[in-house]
Amino acid sequence: MKPAPFEYIAPNNLDEALIAMEVNGFDGKLLAGGQSLIPVMNFRLAQPAVIVDLNGVTELDFIRPNPGGGVTIGALTRQSRLEHDAIVRDRVPLLHATIPFIAHPQIRNRGTIGGSLAHADPAGELPVLSVALQARFKLQRYDKERWVNATDFYQALFMTALEPQEIMTAIEIPPLPPRTGWAFQELARRHGDYAQAGVATLIALDDDGVCTYARLVFLNVGEIPMVATEAAQLLVGERISAESITAVVNHAIQHEIEPTSDVHASADYKRHLAGVLTKRAIRQAANRVTS
Amino acid sequence: MHIHLIINNEEKTVTCTPDDTLLRVLRREGYFSVRFGSDTGETGAAAIRLDGELVTADIMLAAQADGHTIETIEGMSNGLDLHPIQRAFIETGAIQSGYNTPAMVLAAKALLARNPNPTEADVRDALSGILDRETGYVKPVQAILVAAAMLRGEAPNLPPIHVLTPVEYDPGFGDSDRDELTPDVGDMATQTKTEIRPKITSDIPETSVVGKPEQKVDAIKLAKGNPAFVDDIEMRGMLYAKLLTSPHAHARILDIDDSAALALPGVHAVIHYKNVERVIYASGGQSYPNPPPYDQVSFDNKVRHVGDRVAAVAAESLALAEEALKLIKVDYEVLPAVLDERDAIKPGAPIIHDEPDAIDIHDAQRNISHHIEAETGSVEQGFAEAAHVFENTYRVHQVQQCPIEPHIAIAYWDSDERLTLRTSTQVPFHVRRMVAPLLGLPVKRIRVIKPRIGGGFGAKQEMLIEDIVGHLCIKTGRPVRLELTREEEFMSSRTRHPQTITFKSGVSADGKLVAQQMTTLANTGAYGTHGLTVQTVSGLRGLSTYNCPNKRFDCHVMYTNIPVPGAYRGYGAPQALFALEVHMDEIAHALGMDVIEFRRKNWVNEGDGIDIAPHLGEGEKETVTEIPIILSNALAECVDFGKQAIGWDRRDDPEWRNVPGKPHQKRGLGMAVCMHGTAIPGLDMGGASIKINDDGSFNVLVGATDLGTGSDTVLSQIAAEVLGVPLEDIIIYSSDTDMTPFDTGAYASSTTYISGTAIKKSAEGVREQIKERAGLMLDLDDWSGVELRNRHAWAPDGRSVSLEQIALHSLHQDQQRQIMHTASFVSYESPPPFAGQFVEVLVDTETGQVTVEKMVMAVDAGVVINPLTASGQVEGGMVQALGYAHCEEMRYDEAGRMVNPQFGPYKIYRADEMPEMGVILVQTHEPSGPFGAKAIAEIPKDGVAPALSNAVFDATGVRIRQIPFTPERVWQAISKQFA
Repeated sequence: MKPAPFEYIAPNNLDEALIAMEVNGFDGKLLAGGQSLIPVMNFRLAQPAVIVDLNGVTELDFIRPNPGGGVTIGALTRQSRLEHDAIVRDRVPLLHATIPFIAHPQIRNRGTIGGSLAHADPAGELPVLSVALQARFKLQRYDKERWVNATDFYQALFMTALEPQEIMTAIEIPPLPPRTGWAFQELARRHGDYAQAGVATLIALDDDGVCTYARLVFLNVGEIPMVATEAAQLLVGERISAESITAVVNHAIQHEIEPTSDVHASADYKRHLAGVLTKRAIRQAANRVTS
Repeated sequence: MHIHLIINNEEKTVTCTPDDTLLRVLRREGYFSVRFGSDTGETGAAAIRLDGELVTADIMLAAQADGHTIETIEGMSNGLDLHPIQRAFIETGAIQSGYNTPAMVLAAKALLARNPNPTEADVRDALSGILDRETGYVKPVQAILVAAAMLRGEAPNLPPIHVLTPVEYDPGFGDSDRDELTPDVGDMATQTKTEIRPKITSDIPETSVVGKPEQKVDAIKLAKGNPAFVDDIEMRGMLYAKLLTSPHAHARILDIDDSAALALPGVHAVIHYKNVERVIYASGGQSYPNPPPYDQVSFDNKVRHVGDRVAAVAAESLALAEEALKLIKVDYEVLPAVLDERDAIKPGAPIIHDEPDAIDIHDAQRNISHHIEAETGSVEQGFAEAAHVFENTYRVHQVQQCPIEPHIAIAYWDSDERLTLRTSTQVPFHVRRMVAPLLGLPVKRIRVIKPRIGGGFGAKQEMLIEDIVGHLCIKTGRPVRLELTREEEFMSSRTRHPQTITFKSGVSADGKLVAQQMTTLANTGAYGTHGLTVQTVSGLRGLSTYNCPNKRFDCHVMYTNIPVPGAYRGYGAPQALFALEVHMDEIAHALGMDVIEFRRKNWVNEGDGIDIAPHLGEGEKETVTEIPIILSNALAECVDFGKQAIGWDRRDDPEWRNVPGKPHQKRGLGMAVCMHGTAIPGLDMGGASIKINDDGSFNVLVGATDLGTGSDTVLSQIAAEVLGVPLEDIIIYSSDTDMTPFDTGAYASSTTYISGTAIKKSAEGVREQIKERAGLMLDLDDWSGVELRNRHAWAPDGRSVSLEQIALHSLHQDQQRQIMHTASFVSYESPPPFAGQFVEVLVDTETGQVTVEKMVMAVDAGVVINPLTASGQVEGGMVQALGYAHCEEMRYDEAGRMVNPQFGPYKIYRADEMPEMGVILVQTHEPSGPFGAKAIAEIPKDGVAPALSNAVFDATGVRIRQIPFTPERVWQAISKQFA
């Protein structure tokens, strides 16, 4: 098949893109890397009347270190660039280490960070990481802009805070608290596939090995990236032990995720899997804590 | 709109619409190396370099490429001056069908541009976005490592095939021989090693072309991406056809209204049950008369599975054809559906074939397409006498062949008013005969051309879409093209039969089988094509490997409402051997016997008969009248070599079984023995013609159908060997019903054996004529002692004439005649190849994830004509088998709609996920085969699933009798065991 006919607009800079979206936002669709959008257009599951192609807006392709730590990444930055970038590697190792989990090289050569975040697939790695890292997104309209926390951005299945005329232009990732270890664990049938379940974990420990900060965000066990706030809180003030981990895991999988059955796995299995992966991720993250 | 592209350093302005994908535009502009595999980017067949980066043109708009630089493989070579990467692909045997070769070569070029010294892992990562259904990625990875060395200016030091010095087989060889089994290949060591170990040295004659790792004869055009496939031609006025398929698993069509579709300007024809004559047929590409039942028509007023044909349109463009489909009004009466064979046999199940004109359905009222029974001795008596009786039930599921090139056919009228079908088929001659009555044309007015095809694996052993393009071409008078989408390839093409198999075995006190019964409930989906023969072969394969005085096969082949199973490489054997080889493992454990020694005690040896065979001939039972005797058998050696190569004795080492610090991970080893067939005895026939040219080269015209396997190369080697010329002097052409002798086609592991013998006989006929001519030219009284070698005919006295002189003499100078000969061959033998399959796994007992770490297959395929293509068959076959065992599965919702008809959700192994693999070719000399050869194409499909299951049992103690081994299934089994 091929896509249904549409009008094609290819702005050359951000201003033109913002104008195009201001005019066409309700009928139009932003095209970034297109690695998710064009397949669904090929199947005519999406039939936008207007396509606004962001690929000419090269000013959105950047990676900048922030003065206080952390980075700001332009929304059009290709995933393959994140994979090979030293700033990302040094400042956001969790993001850097997780990029190879996404599909395969020629998809990452086209796919962009902003496109993946805005696509909001609950089985996608980047939305989960953005929530885990407490990133915030710059959403721009022709005459205004706002910053939205990743945690607030994801609202329901494939639904986000993005308004029809808005363009996500940048992603700001704050530095991690001191003495924080990280881990990302997922189980896919095979490498590069959509994961049946996964979890991103951040753990900070004090000098005595007592947890001072914990964050658990799950992939593909709910309509959006699922944050296990209560479970993470159970760990704070505790040492990492079999008992403390079990308490966290049990609370998270019983109360803070909402898996549904799909073609790959049943809800029960995903729940079980989320528990196993969380246990491993907490240990791995704790082991990565350096003073 | 107009876009500006720089394609292969050439500036172009191209007209397109915004909704054109870059793939469509590049093909329209004649860059045929950029190929269709799916609309999702998952196959990588449409890979190009955009500004140097590898991207996938099927999920990119052409408009997005405006102003950018594009590289396709067409830009990489000049005439015969190939890029080093292309040369490396040819030299390492990395090309099978070649459909995805351009994509892989570009991926390699992009990798080497940024990393001239890649590791094997880097190469595998670079290839991971390109699906390969053929090579198992082994030789492409080697090719890229070789190319990297060449480009760095180093001498490529890779002989990827290690032809060891012939050794007398010593069954008692010890660990000291281990080094020899894994020879040092220096920098080029890749995850796979191939070895040839001749078992018998005395019987194998010296050869100069046969037995050598010759490059494929069609490699250059495939490495260059030349237009060679069905879709790579342009025809003026060609119409595009699309299928309207059923959204319901079971429904009656009360009416079809095509008026709105026909009213759409540019739509030329809509065909359906109301305007296409009802001619009953069976679609399997098989010999005349096709096995029953005859239960199909081109378009019916009933649909029996989601994806079944409802109508087809022909229009000026694909987009118009798709528009027209939406305008066809179909009035369905939806009927209850049944998907599982175990439900289809229950009383009250919906009746799937209630049409009055179907022929030879066993019991349509009960959905039984066939009932097959065979018995030798008396199993009842055997069970009564047995010391132990074991009974287990196994389930195997449905998978698809997944050729990366989907079914595609183009029909056109030639200048003689004959209908030409250019089609991606394994069976051009069967297609011609079978399509004729459907189209109302005599066979003589139809020509079928098989160009290069991008894999088939059985899916194309079928007359599948040729009738549709034929009908539309006849109706419109215009050329018509139909290509299945990936979704249609899953749902409207052919698949592997699911089966529920119960094995019951009686064993004596000393561990000998005394009775074995295989009871099968098979699922042939909506139609019975191949339903009889696949299941017959399943019974034959399930009851041949082991000697046993009393055997019984009882099989009901059930209609259901799933997409249609048909031929798929292995053809019933993978199902049977999964059940048999897990069952044998279970018996050995229950008896406390070693799993290999129990098998050894029972398996067939040289000189044994296959006593069930006369009762289970593949076609008609009477084609095999006597019990076939096994004349060559290196099963014992295959198992011994395989044990060594996988490190079987590590099973006794508890440390090896566990992973330090990861108590949830367990290692295990499993094995299976395999026995297959070579061609269908008494049925498969191939013909070949050979003629000499002025320069002493030869045209070989052969009906055999190379579908990427390399059969053109192997057949050319046989001709070259007999005629005493190098391979380059053979110009082979296959296959075209107007130009080549008949051949049943590429299936049943028959081509090397059947067509190869036909080629050998044909070449021997030519050789006699050459010898006679040499006698005339050299004035010999007796020319019988003339020998052909080095492009010359040599008299016993040492004088010679060149083949060129002979050709010129016979064509132009004296007593002129065309030196040529035609021969054909049918075999009443089907000598079995044998194999030992070994699998090593790591099981995560918490998640249920099984990681296959290593696979080794040692195969006795007789004398190997070409170790490059033979090992490629084993490597690729094992990987398909691994997909079957581990991750591939067609899944349905309750309404019978397949929920994963796309790569990704339907999981095929990628280059970066592959286990280490080893291939050992143990040579025997099969007296009935050409130069001692037997088959090799299908046996690699047979052993992986049971060996994997047995390995998981070895690792965890949990027995799983159902494939595939998805994490959830394994986890559930483990949880149940330890609950």
